[in-house]
Amino acid sequence: MSERDEIDMKSGEHREAADPSREEQLSLLLTITMEVAAASDLASALDVVLRRVCEKTGWVLGQAWVPNQDGTVLECGPVCFCCGEGGLTKFRVASEGSHFRPGVGLPGRVWELKRPAWIEDVTQDPNFPRTKAAAKVGLKAAVGIPILSGDEVIAVIEFFVQESRAKNERLVNVIAAVAAQLGLVMERKRAEEKLSSTNEILQSILSSMGDAVIVADNEGKFLAFNPAAERMFGEGAAQTASSEWSHQYGLYLPDKVTPFPPDQLPLTRSIRGEEVNNVEIFVRHDKAPQGLWTRINGRPLRGSNGELSGGVIVCRDITEIKKEEFFLFDQSRVLEMIAANASLAEVLTSLVLLMEGQADGLRCSILVLNQDGKHVRHGAAPNLPAAYVKAVDGAPIGPRNGSCGTAMYLRRQVVVKDVLTDPLWADYRKLAEICGLRACWSTPILSPHGEVLGSFAMYRQETRGPHPEELRLTQIATHIAGIAIERQRAQETLRERDARINLAAESADLAFWVIYPEQNTAWMSDKGRKMYGFDSKLPLTRDLICGRVHPDERAAVHAAFDRACASHGLFESEHRLILPYGKTRWVIVRGRCLEDEHGSLLELIGVTIDVSAQKQSELQLQIQREEMSHLNRVALMGEMTASVAHELNQPLTAIANNASAARRFLERGNIDPVLLQQLLQDMVADSQRAGEVIRGIRALVRKDKTVVRSALNLNAVIADTLRLVSSDIVLRESVVITEMDHSLPQVEAVPVQIQQVLLNLIMNALDAVESRPPAERRILINTRSLNGESAEVSVRDFGTGLPQDRPDKVFDHFFSTKQTGMGMGLTIVRSIIETHGGKISAENAPDHGARFFFQLPAARGDSKSQAA
Amino acid sequence: MNNSNESAEVCLVDDDPSVLRSMQYLLASDGLAVHAFNKPEDFLAHVSKNRVPVVVLDIWMEKITGLEVLARLCALSPKTRVIVITARDDLAARATAMAIGPVAFFIKPFNDEKFLTAVRAALAQAHNM
Repeated sequence: MSERDEIDMKSGEHREAADPSREEQLSLLLTITMEVAAASDLASALDVVLRRVCEKTGWVLGQAWVPNQDGTVLECGPVCFCCGEGGLTKFRVASEGSHFRPGVGLPGRVWELKRPAWIEDVTQDPNFPRTKAAAKVGLKAAVGIPILSGDEVIAVIEFFVQESRAKNERLVNVIAAVAAQLGLVMERKRAEEKLSSTNEILQSILSSMGDAVIVADNEGKFLAFNPAAERMFGEGAAQTASSEWSHQYGLYLPDKVTPFPPDQLPLTRSIRGEEVNNVEIFVRHDKAPQGLWTRINGRPLRGSNGELSGGVIVCRDITEIKKEEFFLFDQSRVLEMIAANASLAEVLTSLVLLMEGQADGLRCSILVLNQDGKHVRHGAAPNLPAAYVKAVDGAPIGPRNGSCGTAMYLRRQVVVKDVLTDPLWADYRKLAEICGLRACWSTPILSPHGEVLGSFAMYRQETRGPHPEELRLTQIATHIAGIAIERQRAQETLRERDARINLAAESADLAFWVIYPEQNTAWMSDKGRKMYGFDSKLPLTRDLICGRVHPDERAAVHAAFDRACASHGLFESEHRLILPYGKTRWVIVRGRCLEDEHGSLLELIGVTIDVSAQKQSELQLQIQREEMSHLNRVALMGEMTASVAHELNQPLTAIANNASAARRFLERGNIDPVLLQQLLQDMVADSQRAGEVIRGIRALVRKDKTVVRSALNLNAVIADTLRLVSSDIVLRESVVITEMDHSLPQVEAVPVQIQQVLLNLIMNALDAVESRPPAERRILINTRSLNGESAEVSVRDFGTGLPQDRPDKVFDHFFSTKQTGMGMGLTIVRSIIETHGGKISAENAPDHGARFFFQLPAARGDSKSQAA
Repeated sequence: MNNSNESAEVCLVDDDPSVLRSMQYLLASDGLAVHAFNKPEDFLAHVSKNRVPVVVLDIWMEKITGLEVLARLCALSPKTRVIVITARDDLAARATAMAIGPVAFFIKPFNDEKFLTAVRAALAQAHNM
């Protein structure tokens, strides 16, 4: 760049030349300004400027330079002014072939500096690439002016003359002023152009977009109403009041019949300044008689100062979405029917109707496979002819049995496009023809385990295969039908089981009951009411139920109930019921607590079993046992004859002797009164002794109905028993040795029964040693405490021992080694011990002889009683 | 309670104290002198040192059976007349006792007259020897 070419606007030299006068310059400025303002675009405005400047100033050539698209170089614009001389065109051609980067040549210099530049002689200028061309046509002086739009150079204009001229500041100023005008005009023009192109874009978007867009000003006048809106609402923008819109465009509430309230329309609300989101409107008009669904969003429009100027809404057609939504809703309704235990026929009919509603001209049917797996049953076919339905019901399945029978048989979808030609339909062809059915596609309904439950079929009156949408429907239908059929089967099974349970409960004399502790109410099955003797209508409570319990056991039953309720645990009790009119029942009651999801007690449910009959036989059995036990004791007495005789005869002898002596003394008349008194005293004592013996024997052989248990010291019982049989022991020349554990816990038992056990064991032992030499006739009785929890008694003899193979056999009924034995003794012994919660065993002692030993549990609280 | 005949003493053996005492009274009421023994071994000791014409012996005692006493008595004093009393009618015992040789056998309780007659008869036999 050449320093000297730069123009200093303020201190530039003035050279008088053929420059326009000041008046002319002003008129030029005015003319150009007016013309530029009227110019339609940049090109014509530039043309005005170039021409007018040349005309008024006498410069011969004017051209414009415009930055290229990416703004890297200036290109010669199409507009130029040449004042008629043919030679100048050569320079013009040279210019057109040139382009300048910023700072290069006159245009580039002006572009870069954004200031006018003056060259006195271009041929002398080192930064003027077009020198040669200029020299050829004699161009000398040149001036370049930037046209600025804001800070941006939108064009550079240059003028040439064929003589060297010094810089004319005024001229430059005038042209610069014109250029400035041009810049302003261009700026406005460009903004307009830009706006119009934005509008075009917007228009094109609006016309092509699928969503309806409507813009209205705050008077409700439509400013935009795109084609989608026209399609959606049936007609274009109408100049009607907003209160008429609902009526005019067929806008309804989601119930499809109530016109949409005009003041609630999204556009109206937007115009009011509201933001409207996702309002659903049902639209129905002549062009959409089925109606359509639209979802609308709206926004208010505001001016630059924020004042409301209108509203805009965007409406999306959601008819398909809604349809799917309704379809899903209807599916869930069918599923709800299933859950609510609607009948299978109802459910399947609803399902078929739902599917048929999804496509025009579609008819569907559902067949259910019989439990035999070989025949079909009618499920649902509400829109198929009754004759057809009747013909299919009960038909067998098989490889060539229509669409459905074959589908079930093959367990896969069977598509028959034309029933009139397909071999699968040979048997049903005539019927199908009469019924107007042409295509039938059937799909098996499978359980989750793959079991065939039935089939779902679609029928059409035209010959074709299923569309993808129809296949999708089929999939949904078979799925739901599968659930329904399986559920029904499960319920049938459940009902059968319920019936069986009820039957079993009835025959087992089971009563069901539920007690609700919170509400103090109770429920009882009919059987239960009968068992407890309650009227079928009487409202029940726990107290009423417990009131039936035998008074002796009522407190315990109440306590057991309370315990179960407190621990949320189990309840179990065996007790008697006293029914009205005094009838007694023995029952076993079992129950348990149920909790709600928060773990609080909900109810106590249970069963009551009438065990009166069992109880009766149990009592009878006990009586029998008692009888046997008594007989055994009587038999024992027979075996203990020596002891009995001796024990009784001793005191009787003494009495008889004393009485005789007294009589004799009296007869002899020399009776000493002291002696007489002694005799009488002895007689009293001996008769008491005899009485004791008799009482002891009576206790053993008495039929005692009340068997009262008491705390016993087994050591003492053993001592008493040995005393009872001492005579027999002596007579049999046997010895009994005892080893007593003095820490033996007490046991709770019936004394006579324990004595009976001991007598049996001792008498057996005496029998066992009988065959041994007298020195070996030993019997060892010992006791020991088992951790204080039970007491053990062992009776060991040194006799022949027990059967080697099974010593315990001796406890069996009728087992006897004795010629005269009944074989009942040890059976009774075992029964007594077991009734007392104990256990008895027999074994052969290591050296020889038998050992019998039994354990009885320690009496409750025994340790305390001993300590006290 | 000895009567006129000092030597005519009757020994009495029974381990049951009340029976023993009542027997003593019964014999005394008939004027017989009685030497009572609660323990058979004491009696056997007595026999070995004294002449015992008659003994009333209970053959069913706890420690030593009457039969054993009877057997040893035969060895110690063969001439002693023995009257057996028993509370139990045991055939075996009776047979054994009779084989050894008592003069009488009584089952308790017994007739006092017959018993005393038997005792007196036994005493008479002893004196006559």
